[in-house]
Amino acid sequence: MLAAAMLALLVAMVLALVRALSGPTVYDRILAVNTFGTKTVLVIAVYNFLSGRPDFLDIALVYTLINFVGTVAVLKFFEYRDLGAASGSNGAEETSR
Amino acid sequence: MEHHLVLRVAAKLLIPPILLFALYVQFHGDFGPGGGFQAGVIFGAGCILYGVVFGVDNLQRVVPAGVVRVLSAAGVLLYAGVGVWSLLSGGNYLDYGVLAADRVHGQHLGIMLVELGVGTTVSAVMIGLFYGFTSLRP
Repeated sequence: MLAAAMLALLVAMVLALVRALSGPTVYDRILAVNTFGTKTVLVIAVYNFLSGRPDFLDIALVYTLINFVGTVAVLKFFEYRDLGAASGSNGAEETSR
Repeated sequence: MEHHLVLRVAAKLLIPPILLFALYVQFHGDFGPGGGFQAGVIFGAGCILYGVVFGVDNLQRVVPAGVVRVLSAAGVLLYAGVGVWSLLSGGNYLDYGVLAADRVHGQHLGIMLVELGVGTTVSAVMIGLFYGFTSLRP
């Protein structure tokens, strides 16, 4: 059962990777990379139970946090073109992409 | 970022657990997966999330650039200082066993101090890298 779940996750990761490589807009790529990160977390979790050592779930938790922070940072950069701005000029400048 | 209410609330909810989790990884590193480098990265990521959502000026009020500079050197100093301390205590460089009367206790103490140094340096360098990136105005 766990092996089947792992296989399905790997297939989903390949599909997300295809979307990330061929996405027309940058938001497709960001969403694909975020999905890929989520699937990585699930793969780590499934692999832990597959190998019978669930103490590596910490790593999955770390991956979730880093993935969230990275996605927020990339989205902010593509929205405002400035990673450190506090107010961000209310998103008025629409960048062409 | 002021009108992103969900993001602000989620970040405010998430940042304290992230920092706490970094400390857990730091001090649980000798029993499970983890250690100084990973803890430093998580701690730095928590601070970077604060800087991204609330602005780098607010983050610089929490962790000024001078503090980052001092901390990133202080961690290396702690690492090397433990090595010199064990050297002065009659062992080899970074031979933790001689740091305490009991050899196992000395190992624990030495590894904890060294990992603390690694975590300090890594988190400070991560925040410093973020400062470096955000100061590049396009």
